[in-house]
Amino acid sequence: MENVSAFRAFVEDACRRAGVDESVCFDLKLAVDEACSNLVVHGYKGRQPGPIGVSFAREGDEIVIIITDHAPPFHPDDAPLPRLDAPASERRPGGLGWHMIKQLVDRLEYDSDTENGNRLRMVKKVVPLQNG
Amino acid sequence: MRIVVEKRGRVAVVSVEGSVDGTTAGELTAALHGQVSGGARDLVIDIAGVDYMSSAGLRALLETVKEARKQGGDLRPAAARPEVLRVLDLSGFTSILQVFPDVDSAVASFPA
Repeated sequence: MENVSAFRAFVEDACRRAGVDESVCFDLKLAVDEACSNLVVHGYKGRQPGPIGVSFAREGDEIVIIITDHAPPFHPDDAPLPRLDAPASERRPGGLGWHMIKQLVDRLEYDSDTENGNRLRMVKKVVPLQNG
Repeated sequence: MRIVVEKRGRVAVVSVEGSVDGTTAGELTAALHGQVSGGARDLVIDIAGVDYMSSAGLRALLETVKEARKQGGDLRPAAARPEVLRVLDLSGFTSILQVFPDVDSAVASFPA
């Protein structure tokens, strides 16, 4: 989990360099935290902890973050939908990570192959950089 | 993360500063549960100093509110920053928790 904090610090630093405003930066840090925490808690559960890679790029008016791992594949579409309208007594802890990621970014793409492992691509639109 | 507990009448005000994430949520859960098991079932969590909260923090709140309500009490967050309030909102927690703009109104919301 300490590594997840390091990924968050990486995203914060990259956001600053890319001129991304603080609220977008908060969303991206949270999305990366949730995705990586899921890998630590679920993806690599019961096996040797494997590598997790996080890359950050600004492509025009989009921020593209790619998270790579070698855990068993888990497609975001397969994540169960949390019952957000259920009363507290019926709410289950957990299950919120993917729901939040889907709210925090504009686009998610996922692919997986035996050689390169899994690749989650998260895209968020940002305000274009101002000239001058 | 830093946690300070202060009693205001029957209400325990738990003030939290820093980031509530996968590394710190366990400590927060322990502190909140310690209050409930020690008999303080009416809890306000002052999160003015929380600059970051992930779903791990939400789990700490959910587990505590369930426990507090079982005892006839409640857990009421107060003074959330806009980003943290948004996390509570996105996760549907603003519909299961009574959220207050400041600590005083949260404390006053409990019966004297």
